[in-house]
Amino acid sequence: MADSNIKAIDIKDLSISFAGQKIIEIFSLHVAYGEKVTITGPSGSGKSTILRCLQGFLQPEAGSIHIAGKPLTPDTVWEMRTSLAYVAQEPDLGAGNVREIIERPFNYRANHSLKANLSRLPEYFKIFNLPLDLLDKEITLLSGGEKQRVAFICAILLDRRIFLLDEVASALDRANYQAVAKFIISRPELTVLSVAHEPAEYDFSDRVVELPYYSRGGGA
Amino acid sequence: MNITEISLGGMALAYLLLIFPLGLILWNRIPILGQTLLAIVRMTLQLLLVGLYLQFVFRLNNYWLTGAWLLIMIAVADLSIIRGCGLKMARFTGPLFVALLAGAGLPLLFLVGPVLKKTFLMEAQYVIPIGGMILGNCLRANIIGIKRFYESLRKNQKSFQHMLGQGASLPEAVRPFLRDAYQAALGPTIATIATIGLVALPGMMTGVILGGANPMTAIKYQIMIMLAIFSGTAITVMLAIKLTMKSSFTAWGVLDHRIFKS
Repeated sequence: MADSNIKAIDIKDLSISFAGQKIIEIFSLHVAYGEKVTITGPSGSGKSTILRCLQGFLQPEAGSIHIAGKPLTPDTVWEMRTSLAYVAQEPDLGAGNVREIIERPFNYRANHSLKANLSRLPEYFKIFNLPLDLLDKEITLLSGGEKQRVAFICAILLDRRIFLLDEVASALDRANYQAVAKFIISRPELTVLSVAHEPAEYDFSDRVVELPYYSRGGGA
Repeated sequence: MNITEISLGGMALAYLLLIFPLGLILWNRIPILGQTLLAIVRMTLQLLLVGLYLQFVFRLNNYWLTGAWLLIMIAVADLSIIRGCGLKMARFTGPLFVALLAGAGLPLLFLVGPVLKKTFLMEAQYVIPIGGMILGNCLRANIIGIKRFYESLRKNQKSFQHMLGQGASLPEAVRPFLRDAYQAALGPTIATIATIGLVALPGMMTGVILGGANPMTAIKYQIMIMLAIFSGTAITVMLAIKLTMKSSFTAWGVLDHRIFKS
């Protein structure tokens, strides 16, 4: 894909504090293009915090993050967000019906060119076991697992190449989780960084990285 | 004008009406007696001072004096809006002042100039009451609008960040929050416009009628003022949010929580 020295995600000596508490201390991780890595660790070890940092929603105290070879800064973060997809444990996708929620990001200037991808929506609904009549339902009425799969489909339709998955197995039953895992494995070009505290999520991972628990560490 | 002057004795008599609310409070031991008395004293003193000052301002009818009075009204509105929104003064005072100045000033000058055809745009008799009515209404709308915008961004931080994460620019990501805030801010004014004259005779119209004008003149003034209020509300709310937004988000597009007082 790219220069083999350039990593999809390159985290170097990251330290994160939140509300005065050290959550991550000197953490480094390199994820190659196409690699599927799971970060694991006990609740409160700061796994999800790393994903928030990668999206630029939380600033580390020290250390650096490079995505596709570029340093993450206030100037580059806007472009980088268009290559990342984040699927939360309990996604809050805003208000509206499912169709509106899925179509909304395609109205953003950065995604205009991807509009044609929407035609593949029925195909992905089928893959992830979602009935098409869900499209007219209010998003808030969906279960956590349904919302997660909707967010996942959004990410695929938006052609994102780096997936950040936050405890995806937690809200999905086995069959639906299998569908997600199968999809991830079938896409060698996808780089996946997931965080999980259950071994169930290791299925699609090439590598599992254990995160130590930093004593008083705060929110997950 | 042929309005009846209220004598000092008559004025004192009017205070007798307080027997009923005060009686109600005392009889039921509602713990708001001190508050009520203070409010009445404040009202009396404030209006007395304003009356004295306005007499002076009207007599001189001076460009600078009237302008200064307007600026003071804007500054007071500015501070009360920020306090009402639970936001920190330091960041919002400046931008909000600009928003109020433009939002109240534009419809005001438009009324005094092209509509009322006054050659002297700072005619105190018109500028001060009309300006006050526009500002007073902007105040409520701005508290509702600005508060709604920032509070709902704070409350819905996850969905806001989800939109940013999907590649939205800051203006794109705040759009649904803006729409919601504008609707909340304009809603009450629209409701007032729709029911005006049915529920109660509006203040300005009452004033003009008491002043001895015929009712048709009074309604023309009322319509004019409602249009100015609506327009001023829209301009101030929009400018207030747009101008305060600049310093309310970090360079990463995240809402800066330090804007909130608590």
